[in-house]
Order: sequence, then structure tokens, then C-alpha cells
Amino acid sequence: MIEMALVVGLLAITLRTASPLLLASLGETIAERGGILNLGIEGAMLIGAFSGFLGAYFTGSLVVGFITAIIGGILTVLLFGILVIKVNLDQVVSGLAINLLATGLSLYFFRIAFSQGNFPYLGQLIDPMPIPGLSGIPIIGDILFNQTIFVYIGLLSVPLIYWILFKTSFGLRLRSIGEDPFVASYLGINVERTRFISLIVEGIFVGMAGGLLTISMFNTFDTRIVAARGFVAVSIVILGRWNPWGALTGSLLFGFTQALSLWIGTFLVGPAAPSISQLLSLLPYVVTLLALVVGGRKVRGPASLGSPFAKE
Amino acid sequence: MQLKISKSTYRSILKSLISVALALVVTSVLFILTGANPVLAYYYMFVGAFGNFSLTVETLVRMTPILLVSLGLAVSFKCKVWNIGAEGQLYMGAMVGTIAAVSLGNTPVTLLISIALCILAGMAWAGIPALMKTHLGINEVITTFLMNYVAIYFVQWLIAFPFRSPDTLFPESAQLPAAAILPIMVPSTRLHLGVLIAIFLAIPLVYLLMMRSTFGYKLKAVGENPEAARYGGINIKRTMLMALVISGALAGLAGFFEVSGIQFRMRGSLSPGYGYTGIVVALLGQSNPIGVAISSIFIAAIYNGAFEVSRVLNQPQGIVDFIQGVLIIFVLSSESIMRFLEKKGVIKL
Repeated sequence: MIEMALVVGLLAITLRTASPLLLASLGETIAERGGILNLGIEGAMLIGAFSGFLGAYFTGSLVVGFITAIIGGILTVLLFGILVIKVNLDQVVSGLAINLLATGLSLYFFRIAFSQGNFPYLGQLIDPMPIPGLSGIPIIGDILFNQTIFVYIGLLSVPLIYWILFKTSFGLRLRSIGEDPFVASYLGINVERTRFISLIVEGIFVGMAGGLLTISMFNTFDTRIVAARGFVAVSIVILGRWNPWGALTGSLLFGFTQALSLWIGTFLVGPAAPSISQLLSLLPYVVTLLALVVGGRKVRGPASLGSPFAKE
Repeated sequence: MQLKISKSTYRSILKSLISVALALVVTSVLFILTGANPVLAYYYMFVGAFGNFSLTVETLVRMTPILLVSLGLAVSFKCKVWNIGAEGQLYMGAMVGTIAAVSLGNTPVTLLISIALCILAGMAWAGIPALMKTHLGINEVITTFLMNYVAIYFVQWLIAFPFRSPDTLFPESAQLPAAAILPIMVPSTRLHLGVLIAIFLAIPLVYLLMMRSTFGYKLKAVGENPEAARYGGINIKRTMLMALVISGALAGLAGFFEVSGIQFRMRGSLSPGYGYTGIVVALLGQSNPIGVAISSIFIAAIYNGAFEVSRVLNQPQGIVDFIQGVLIIFVLSSESIMRFLEKKGVIKL
């Protein structure tokens, strides 16, 4: 029975560690379906984490932190949108620019808000919310229904986004832009507006993904807090073939690797234990790279992904 | 023809200057918002970077890793291969160079072998994502960035366990043997041989490679029009692979020079993000070796000047990253800004 409890614990942690990846990759799936490759997602998550932390810290309310994280995410992705949609700049380089800008902004304003040597942290975190009735179910209840709001939002968004992308006229318009914006525009679809809507939705998800790091996971802020989760999410979108269900599968896989490396670390004993458990921190990145080698070769995404669209 | 070239060069320079000016203006707003006088801030920044001889030397020392990394990235960016993994390539180069130097001890060839191996390590670390791009079609931006994390965590593990120095409290490697340390060129400064190698060897070599060789021509062709390049018989995959590997070589060298010229031990805090700064510098210099060299001095001056600004005006160090972030946005937009100014008749060429 003890083994069972451990496995349940491992799977519950998997969902928690997968949640930022799931939210971010769902957001990125929407943007990429419209032909926008947003590599600034790493920076948008960082701003989400930072604005969420500031909101929660200065008001003492996690709800405010949740909202400011989303606002931070939306504003960062919108800035990216202006660069690539309005000014028509290269999407890849603009993404890198957003990442550098986000690091600079958060580092600077963190030190403005909190003086050197001051390590602020939140007194409380967004804790798991057991769902009455369901959380009592053995095993499944502990894994699925005793989680944070971010896990619930992520899981419920998978079918919702699938429905929006593949069953609504907005989804059809967005996907046709992603395949060929020129034809879509010729058919009377407002390419700019549709893409901006998709980016706002991405901003909401990415803002939440970043915010949960500070207000639900770590309770403090550091400019290295995102730790490539944005880029892992972009990899998950590729591996998940630009499909929300694929994003869910990929996120769970990476969440599991991360949970596993933490989990193994707790069992190690002996003189080599600290060494091995530190080395395990590499695992999620190595697994992502290997997964790209195995499952990311020559996959075809939306045809116009990453290419500029300018009406001349 | 001669006139036309100088005109486009003039236009490129103007574009970079406009980007710098706009970035400094935006940063001024930040200074004002936080209660500092921007004119004074830039004055202290200049003083902190070039105020006297030893400060100027320190700026050159700071410039060296930035210059080496960004020269390499200029090669890569020229053919539109976006290597954002220079940080990891730098760490791997530094680590392998350190291991080689410490294992060899004091021999006449220690320094040369360590330098050769740090270059090879940087090349290998860049070679993996390069092959993933050319043979599997996987976006190099994602892979090079992820490999930064693998490299840095791996190096941190190496210096915390297998290669930890027995005589120090913190996780760091053993001290390099005397034979692996780059000689100081100006007494009582930190101006090591690596600074001179970067300025007098790396700049001319990269200039010749990019501007005077067939490879440089291929880089440009692949970057500007891959279809035409393919039609013209250029092996695109090979060119991209070479470009990424060359940028890795220079990043690896930058890393080991930091160990053998400045730190003398491998540490987890070796680079404050030179790999990312190199991206800004390569873009600001528009992938031109001379432009990159000038941009490196400029960014190094901001790095060192910011210490003075934070000391005197109590401004956070984050200003360095902030300026770089704003700068890169304006560098990207500079072509559009330029066209706008030309259309309005503000600039006539």
C-alpha cells in the first residue's frame, strides 16, 4: 500500500509540474495555428511570473496576482504582436528581442521595488483545491481532483481549445490564415484582427503559466524562474502536432520526467546521492531534446508558420 | 559602384546610430521615472567605462568575451541561422579547457592544447543542434536554447562533484596551472593576452572569412536568398552547419579566455550572460565584423559604466539588461524607422 501511495504522489506531482507547460503550450498552439511562431513565450512567461508576484505581494491577494499575471502575459504577447503583425518584423528575432527585454525589465523593476539583499516572498500560495465529492474517490481523486486551479483550467481548456480550433468558424478562419494568409485575406478574412485575437488568448494562457510559477509553485521571484519552460512548451507544440490533445500528452510526458527526477532524488541514499540528484536536474532538458530528435523530425506545421504577411 | 557601396554602408551605420539613440532615450525615461537625472546617469556611465586608463583597460577586458561571442554569432546570423546557444557553448568550452589545463599541469604545450580543446568543445556543442537542424529539420532556436540549460547544469555538476577543487568551500574547479594562464600584457592591469588575440587576430580573421572568402559569399547568399543559392550550386546545409559550428568555436574560446585570463578557476558564475549579449551585439553590428567590433566596445562600456551609475545614483544593475532589451527592439525596427524617415524627407541619402 505504501508503494501505491508513492505512485499516486508521483502522478499528482506530474500534473502539477506539467501545468505551466500545458497552459503555455495550449496558448502557443493557438498562436501557431494562425501562423505566428512566438518564441517570445519565454519572456512573456517571465513577465507573467513577475507581474503576478508584484500583484500578489503588494496587495496581499492571490486573486489580484492571478489577474496581474494574465495582464502581464497579454501585454507582452501584444507587444510581440505589434512587432510581427504591424511592423512586420522577423518573428524569430522579435521573439528573442522580447525575451531579452523581459529579462531586462523584470530585473530592473525587481530591484526598484525591492532593494539589494532583500529577498521578498509571498506569505501564502495558491494551494490545491479539492473538488467536493470527486476528491474522495480513491487514487483518481488524489491524482486529478486535489489540484490547484491552474491544473483544472489547463485540463478543461484542452477540449475547449480543440472545439474552438476545429469546430467554430473562428477556428476555421484562424487555421486558414495559418495555412495561407494571402488566400484567407482574399476570401475576406481580417488577417490582422484574427491573429491579434489569437495572440490575446495566447497571452492569457502564457500569463497564467508564468504566474503560477510565482504565486502557486515557488512563492518568490527570480529572473531565472522560467528556466526554459517556454521553449519546452514550443517543443511540445511541435511534438503534439499543433493539436491541444497533443499538447496535453506532451506536457504530461515532460511533467512526468520532471516529477520523476525529483522523486528519484528523494530515494537516493549514500555518499553519491547529492551528486546524482543534482545531475538529474538535466533530465527534463535532455528528454526534450531527445523527444525532438525522435518525434520532431520534418514535421509539417501550419504552412505559413513564421513567415511574414504584408499587404502591399 | 564605389559610391553606391559607401552609401549603403553609410545607411547601415545611420540605422545602428538611430537604434542606439532611441534606446538611450527610452532608458532616459526609465531614469527619470526612478528619480535619476539621465544626463548625469550617462555621464557617470561614460566615466565608469573610460574615466581613466585603468577603467578603459577594464572595459577592453570586459569587451573580449562579448567580442569573441558576437563575431561568431555574426557568422551564424549572416546566413540566418539563429544560434542562441552561445552561452552554453561558452560554458562547455571553458569547462573542457579547464579540465585539459588542470590535467596536463605545467607543460610547455598546456595553454595551446587547452585552447585547441576549448574551441573543439564549443564546436561540438554547437554541432549537435546544427546537425539536428540540417538533417532533421528541427528549429535551431529551440535546440540551442535548451542546450544552454544542459551545458550550464552539467558544468555546475562537474565543478560541484567530479572536478571540484579540494581546497575551496564553494563549488569551483582547481586553480589552473601557471602554464595555462594567459600572460598579462600591461603590468598591474588585467589586460591579458586574450584581449589582444580577440582584437588583432579574431577581428581580422572573421573579416577575411566573411568579406573576402568564398565561404563568406556563400553565407550571404544563403542568408539573403536560399532558393537562389541552391540554384547557384551552394550546399545550403553545409554552409549553415559550418556557420553554427564556427560560432560555437568562438564562444568556446571566449569561455576559456575568461577562465585563463580572469578567473583562473572554472566557476558556475563565469558568464553574466555574454552568450545573450552577443546576440544583441551581432544584430546591432548588422553581422558586419567591424560593426560588431564597435558594438562590442559600446556594450562593454554599458556593462562597466553601469557599475558606476548604480554606485553613484543608486540605480539597479538591471539597467544593463534593460538597455540591451530596448536596443534589440529598435535594431529590429530600424529598417522600418529608416524608411519612415526617408519617406518624410527627414533623411536624404
